[in-house]
Amino acid sequence: MNRKAQIRMTETVAVLFIFFVLVIFGIFFYYKYSQISILEKQQELLGMRAIDTTLKILFLPELSCTKGDAEPEDNCFDLSKLGSASSVFGGSAEHLSYYFDIFKYANITVHEIYPDSTNSWTIYDKPKVIMEEGREIKNWKDYESTFFIVTLREESEGNPKYRAGYLEVGVYS
Amino acid sequence: MIKNKQGQMEMIGLVVIVILITLGMLFMAQFALKEDPAKKVFTRKGLAYSTLSALMKTSAYNEDCVNEYSGIREVPQLGKKILEDCALNYATKEPGLNACGASCIFSCREKHSCVFLEEFIAETLEETLGKWGKSYELRSVVLVPGTDFPPELILIKNKGGCPKTKERDSSGSFPIHTPMGLVESELYICD
Repeated sequence: MNRKAQIRMTETVAVLFIFFVLVIFGIFFYYKYSQISILEKQQELLGMRAIDTTLKILFLPELSCTKGDAEPEDNCFDLSKLGSASSVFGGSAEHLSYYFDIFKYANITVHEIYPDSTNSWTIYDKPKVIMEEGREIKNWKDYESTFFIVTLREESEGNPKYRAGYLEVGVYS
Repeated sequence: MIKNKQGQMEMIGLVVIVILITLGMLFMAQFALKEDPAKKVFTRKGLAYSTLSALMKTSAYNEDCVNEYSGIREVPQLGKKILEDCALNYATKEPGLNACGASCIFSCREKHSCVFLEEFIAETLEETLGKWGKSYELRSVVLVPGTDFPPELILIKNKGGCPKTKERDSSGSFPIHTPMGLVESELYICD
């Protein structure tokens, strides 16, 4: 009788042991899964911010092409506006603070593909950094960039000509 | 009484197993039904539209594309004059052909407008979408009235293109009117 009870006890302990192993395995799996999904969510939010910034820049009157009556053209930047963009966006502390409210920590560059692929314009560059002993130290974990193909309009002798280029918007987290 | 109790215990065990299996299935379903991140879809769709719209607008700066009359230099746009020239002369399109003859208005890079367009657009797309790891497919057809199979003016495919079986996004149709009929261009982007 005693022996039978002992066997039953061992059986119960074994079942409980397996059950708890399964539960621990489940908890571990769930923990890993939530960790990955949090990272994915962070990445997605950063991506959304990159898109947001891209949309803002694509429709920014300071850069976009306009036809006669100030009707904006899709996915087009005016070359003459691009040329003076860096001084507009980062001209003074007031300008910097105004554009920081719009773009936050980001890097916005327009590259020309055709006809001259060596041309590029950095419009805005505000990396996330901290100052330590007078030196700038990188303080971002992630950098997400989005690309959009655009045309660059140049006006000469009343005839608009379009170059091909792309907009690169990178955001820091 | 003892047998009844044993039966109850077995039932509880069974319920626990069923719950565990259900939880596992739910997890698997969550993985399988996970939607594409919004960024991916937006980027693909927006990129397809912006790419084709930019390409169609781009001017051909090559010296041999530029027309000069009455002292005015006209730099033709790819999606307008050159595509129109290609549509008008598509019957004489042959790969590697140097210029298309007297009927053509343009002979950029000394080539038939269709050949030039295909070459130029393929280069530009490779430099951008190709570098960014995207697969794409660009097609331009001329809708000639009374024809069931519209002639293909341009066909560019990268990494096997974007067949319907792949998850793809389209730029939408970019039509232009030409004397030959309506020319429709469309760009597909897939991952």
